[in-house]
Amino acid sequence: MLQTVLHIAVVLAILAGTVFSIVGVLGLIRLPDVYTRLHATGKVSVFGLLFLLIAAMLLGHAPVGKAILLIVFLVIAGPTLSHAVGAAAYQLGIPLKLVERNDLSEALPAGDDPVSNRKKSPKSDRESKGAQEKRTVT
Amino acid sequence: MPDYIIYILNFSLGIHLLLIAICVHRVWKGENGLDRLLGVDLLGTLILAVLVIIAIRDQQPLYIDVAMGLAAVGFTSSILLAKYMADQQLR
Repeated sequence: MLQTVLHIAVVLAILAGTVFSIVGVLGLIRLPDVYTRLHATGKVSVFGLLFLLIAAMLLGHAPVGKAILLIVFLVIAGPTLSHAVGAAAYQLGIPLKLVERNDLSEALPAGDDPVSNRKKSPKSDRESKGAQEKRTVT
Repeated sequence: MPDYIIYILNFSLGIHLLLIAICVHRVWKGENGLDRLLGVDLLGTLILAVLVIIAIRDQQPLYIDVAMGLAAVGFTSSILLAKYMADQQLR
């Protein structure tokens, strides 16, 4: 009886992990720009793998310490990676689609926002290239 | 381990392999560098999921160790690549 309940819980966990993976890849295909895709792919690395590892722990086929260590690592690493990629995308001036109001560009000092600079003047592109050459020379 | 769990695991393995194929296509057709970086990171995560599923199905705990190593390497490389692209203004 208890064994059956455990097995049903394992099946539910595996199915939940698979559903999260499907949703993440669907978001990677369907969403329009880097910032919204980050939102979708973060789900896979935290929830999809977490449910699969819970299933492995319930069945006793994974060492519990190692599985918990992997879960903790994933929970720390996922948001860190999302933050790094989002900051890099904003720094590179990749435009935000589907945006109604950009709070960050209002908070930054005027003329210091990479996204609106790139949108308004194509000159900033050449300037950044010149700055890059200068940096590689020095 | 009853048969239906093996069946569900094989089903989930097939789904994950299909998702990996879609992800590779997405990396190939990416719009800019960070888009492809995201795709590669998701690819690493899906391969991790495949490793965990194989560990459950074949009852081999060794695959969890491999998954831990792969997670550490993938995380470090993605972070470093994102920082490098932001510093060098590569799109």
